[in-house]
This record gives sequence, structure tokens and C-alpha cells, in this order.
Amino acid sequence: MGLELNFRIAPRTKIIILAIISFMVFNDVPMYVSGILVLIPFVCLFFSDYKKAAVIYILAYVIAKYLQMAVLPNATGILAIVLITFSYTATRMLPILMMGYYTIMTTKVSEFIASMEKSNVPKDITIPVSVVFRYIPSVFEEIRSITKAMKMRGFGFTFKSLKSPLKMVEFYMIPILISAVKTSDELSAASLTRGLSNPKKRTNLISVKFNKFDYLFIAISIAGIAVYIYYLCGGALIA
Amino acid sequence: MLKMENVSFSYDEMRNANLKDINLGIGDGEVILLCGESGCGKTTLTRFLNGLIPNFFDGKREGKAYLNSDLIDEMPIYEISEHVGSVFQNPKTQFFNVDTTGEIVFGCENLAMDARDIKRRLDDVVSDFGLRHLLDKNIFKLSGGEKQKIACASVSAVNPEILILDEPSSNLDSKSSWDFKGILEKWKSQGKTVIIAEHKLFFLDDVLDRVIFLKDGKISNEWTIDEFKQVNHRNIGLRQLNLDNLTAKHQDYYCSSPEFMEIKNFKFNYGNTRVLDIDNVRIPKNEIIAIIGKNGAGKSTFANCLCGLKRSCKGELILDSNTLNRKDRLKKSYMVMQDVNHQLFTESVLDEVLLSMDEENEEMAYEILDNLNLIHLKDSHPMALSGGEKQRVAIASAIASKKEILIFDEPTSGLDLKNMMNVSENLKYLQGLGITSFIITHDYELILEACSHVLHFEDGKIIDSYKMDEEKLKEFFLD
Repeated sequence: MGLELNFRIAPRTKIIILAIISFMVFNDVPMYVSGILVLIPFVCLFFSDYKKAAVIYILAYVIAKYLQMAVLPNATGILAIVLITFSYTATRMLPILMMGYYTIMTTKVSEFIASMEKSNVPKDITIPVSVVFRYIPSVFEEIRSITKAMKMRGFGFTFKSLKSPLKMVEFYMIPILISAVKTSDELSAASLTRGLSNPKKRTNLISVKFNKFDYLFIAISIAGIAVYIYYLCGGALIA
Repeated sequence: MLKMENVSFSYDEMRNANLKDINLGIGDGEVILLCGESGCGKTTLTRFLNGLIPNFFDGKREGKAYLNSDLIDEMPIYEISEHVGSVFQNPKTQFFNVDTTGEIVFGCENLAMDARDIKRRLDDVVSDFGLRHLLDKNIFKLSGGEKQKIACASVSAVNPEILILDEPSSNLDSKSSWDFKGILEKWKSQGKTVIIAEHKLFFLDDVLDRVIFLKDGKISNEWTIDEFKQVNHRNIGLRQLNLDNLTAKHQDYYCSSPEFMEIKNFKFNYGNTRVLDIDNVRIPKNEIIAIIGKNGAGKSTFANCLCGLKRSCKGELILDSNTLNRKDRLKKSYMVMQDVNHQLFTESVLDEVLLSMDEENEEMAYEILDNLNLIHLKDSHPMALSGGEKQRVAIASAIASKKEILIFDEPTSGLDLKNMMNVSENLKYLQGLGITSFIITHDYELILEACSHVLHFEDGKIIDSYKMDEEKLKEFFLD
């Protein structure tokens, strides 16, 4: 790409945006109202080398919205139930999920610790949360590996296995929980030997100061949520 | 300088002591090996020296351990960490960061060093360890050897006088092990004290000064490196220090006239890169086959394709004149994974075996468990077993589901001699049942002990396929 944007937003901005977008869960609104908030994760992902994820996300959202607006009114019976479940979950949850995905994939652990310290969040909160950050990539690895193991045992995702979904959940959860306990134990031990419990204020090599993108994105998302709330209140008044 | 005086320790007061009456002095600049069978107490000893006992693991302590003139158990652990750096066995769980650069400076940041100072140290370790190409990468995407390099650089950045390594080479291939030796030599030349607890010894011989042999929590012997070279390592349950003189146990095939299976057209791409490219290869059936090659040579991809786990790999396996496609292979083959925790699903060992059967047959399940020496554990929860036992449960479930091809992914990483021999016995038992086993391994001693055929991978291709041949193997492992 010839265009060198150097796009980067601070961890705190990501969290603020994530919190604002989470309002989407509560209500379903037309696309021209939710538009700005829906586009924020897309823009963030697109300019941070997650172009494929960004495009898939926006397509999925548009399809879900289209189904909801154009197809659903004419659907009946089981089709309607499936459509409602799919389209409403997708339109409300997708933006939040994608913003969460973006936040986790693009925030370095040290960046996160630095920005929490800037906001004077105590270590007792910062450290466990940053362990979660650190642990998520390994959960993905584990899920892949467990899926492989299940296929080889002949109980992968098939119609037969879908009959007992609880069994499937159990098969995934037990190995993941066991390894989560082991990982967090070993990780805590390793970080202790590296001085993490030092009460002195940590040095942070990475600067987490706000830049122009941070102000821009916070402004845009506040504008987005303002439109959203205005519409909801207006809607309520009309009703 | 480190000193231990009459140190005893047990994690659990009701059980036997894990360390008994340890007296040990370690001078500045010494490079020391702690060795002994699994459970001999060497890891516990390292935890005493880096402060994890009593700061993380507690139990019943006696005796005194000094770092210079301070009592270690009276120092806060962050103060110990300025003097003692630790590298652990599992590369997955010793990183707090996801990016490499953040990880290297993590210790320095915790110790609140000056930012300019940290940058200088980062530059130093990057040039010392040759890491320029690994900066700002995702640690999860690195190979085992690269991960361990980052771990070493991270502790080195703090510039401690003492380095404590707990089985650092378990997950390394032979080339990375030799690279790792380079790191040890670097530290030695910088005058650092290095203490290594390790099973794999072959890459260590001329970097060590002294060897401490532990047995049942006691120091049972101490040697200088020259004395240690004369010791018969096998007799005291240790891996070999020098691999040159080992001989292969199975120069000939197990079967007097082996039949062959044929692998055809195994190709696989990641994105646009071809990572597996096999046109045609014949492999002896019902033998124990070693799969060797550097990290990233395509060994695991091959294993996944052979098991039918990669949808886009359209290759075929011709076995007993039947042509097996992907789905057929998924039924006939099974992989014993490196992290065997991921493939045990039920609440008891017996259930695990029954679950694998088309029709539950308890009698047969008992027989399988009996043969694998698991019958006394039939009601135990699989997750409560030891590593070796878990591996045997996975094998039992493969036998129960009548698999004909078994693939083992690094079955002996981090195992001592005795457990390695047990794995080798299991492989021979499977051979007796008519099963063909493939072993992806970096363990030269295991290959000589059990395997009768070798597949050598490089750049996604099988560059050599041969009946056991020590000279060829040596060329790969020891040069």
C-alpha cells in the first residue's frame, strides 16, 4: 500500500470505544442510526493489517441487516425463527465482538499495563487482566488442538454430536480449564522471578500518549452514540 | 556466590522430603549441571535458589541458603530477580507479553530501570544473541528454539550474575540445542554463574565445570566435568553426554519381509507457500518409523495430512492394496499429541477406552489396559495421572478404536532415561499388535532405541527414506 497512515490508537481509547459500542446490545436500530458505530471496528481493523477480517465483518453485518429488513418480514414458521436469531444476534453482537477482537489482537501487554498505570488503576487489577490478555492467543491454539483430537476420536462436529451439545461443551471445557490452571500457575511463577511484584513504579518503554487518531475516534464514537440515543428517545416519544 | 547449608524441603509435610540435607557451594562464574531421574529434586533445588520457594511454593523448610551473604528466604523475590535470572522448560508459559520486544525489556521495566538504560540493554542483548530479525514479532508465531532464545535474552537484559535454567532444552530440536549451547558459552565468557537442571546432556559437555547428581532429594555424587565423562551414564539412569558411540538396536526391520504402504501426492499450502510436497514414497508397514527434520520442515503438516486432518490435502495412502482417502485415513490413524491433555475427554481411564470402541466391550478394554500396565488406574481421572500414564491412556484408546497407524508427536520431550525407555517399550508393543508407528522426534537416543526406518524431511519434502543407518542419522543430529 502506498498510503502510509501509521494508524495507531491508544489502549484506553480502544476500551472507551468498546464501552460505547456495547450500547448496541440493548436496542436494534436502522442502519443509518447505528452506522457510525458499526463502521468504527471496520476502520480500525482495516487500517491495522486485519483487512480480511474487516471485510468479512462488514459483509456479514450488511447481509444480516438485509435479511432482517428485507427477508424477515415475509418469512414464517421455522425460517422466521432462524432468521430472527441469526440477524438480531449478528447486528447487535458483531460490532462489539469485532471491536473486542481488534482490542485484543492489537494491544501489547506492556502497552496495556502502561495505560492502566497512567489511569492509576492499582496493580491488583491490572496484572490479572493482563494475564487474561496474554492467555487468549493460547486458548485459540488449544481449541484448534482439541478439535483435532476430537476428529480423530470420531466425535467432531457432526449431526450426531449436535444431539448432545452439553457433552461437546464438556469435551472442550475440561482440557481448557486444566491447562488454564497450569498456565496461570507457571506464568505467575515466571513473572515473579522477573520482578513483577516490585512495589516501585514500573518504567514503560512504550508511550501510550493520545495522538490525533485517539481524539478523532473518541469524538466520532461519542457523536455516534449521541445519534443513537437521540433516535431511541425520539422513537420512544413517537411511540 | 550461592551457598546451601543443610537444606531440606518438602512441599507437603505428610509426604517424604523433596530435598534432604543439601550442602552445596557454588562459586562465581561456575557452570553447573544438576542431573538425576525425574523427581530427584533438581527442579525443587532451582526453586530454592531463585526464590520461588518460599515466595510461590511453600512447604516445610529447614537449613539456610545464601545469595552472597544474604539469606535468600529473607529477601523479597523482586530483589532476588536483580541477581538471579530464571529460564523455564515450557516456552508457552514463561512469557508475560505477546510481542518479543516487550518481553525482552519486561524484567528491566519491572525493576524500574531508567528508560535510556533499558534501551541500551535491549541493544546489547539483541546484538549478543543475534535477535535483530526477531524483534517486534508475535512470540506465539516463533519456533521453539526462537522462543527459548527470547527467554534467554529477556533474563540476560536484566544483567543478573546468576542464571538458573530448569530443563531449558526440552522443546528444542538438535540444531536449536547446539545454538543453545552457544548462549551458555556466551554467559560463561561474561563470567556469569550458570546452573542447569537438565535430562538432555549431549550438547553440554565442554561448557560444564561441575556436575551434581541428585537421587531421592539428596546429593549422591559430585564430579568435575572430566570425571563425569568417565561415568557410565546409563547405569545411573542418565541420558548420554556423548552420542558418538551409541549404536542402533534395530538395524533390520522388525518384520522379516516387510510389506510396504505407499503415500501418493501429499501436498499442502499455507496461503501461497507450499509447505508439504510429496509425490510418492514407499514406507514399510508395521515398523517403527522416525520422522526427522528441522523445525518447519513439514513434519507436523505431514502428520496432520496422514491422519486426514487437513481437508485440502488430497493425497492418498495405499495400504494393503486399498486406496485410502482423507476420510478413510481419519478412521484408521491416530495421533498422540505432544500435549496429551488435549485428547483425554472422559472421567475415568476405563471410560476413555470404552468411548473409543464402536461397541462397548469391557472385557476387551480390561485386556488393553492390562497390557499397557494401566489396569490399577482404571477408575482414576485421566487428568490426575502422570505424563507417561496419560500417554499410555491415549495409546489405549487408539488400540481400542482399532487404529492401524499411530503418529507420536515428540513423545519423549523432557523425559529422563527411564521414561524414554518406557515409551520405547510401548512402541514395540504396538509393533507387536501389527500397528505402524510414526515418531516425530528430535530424540536421537529414542530413534536408536526403537526405530527401524527413517523419513528425513526438509522444506516440505522427504529428502531421504532409509532403513536404520547410524551414519546417516549421525550426520543429521551431530554435525
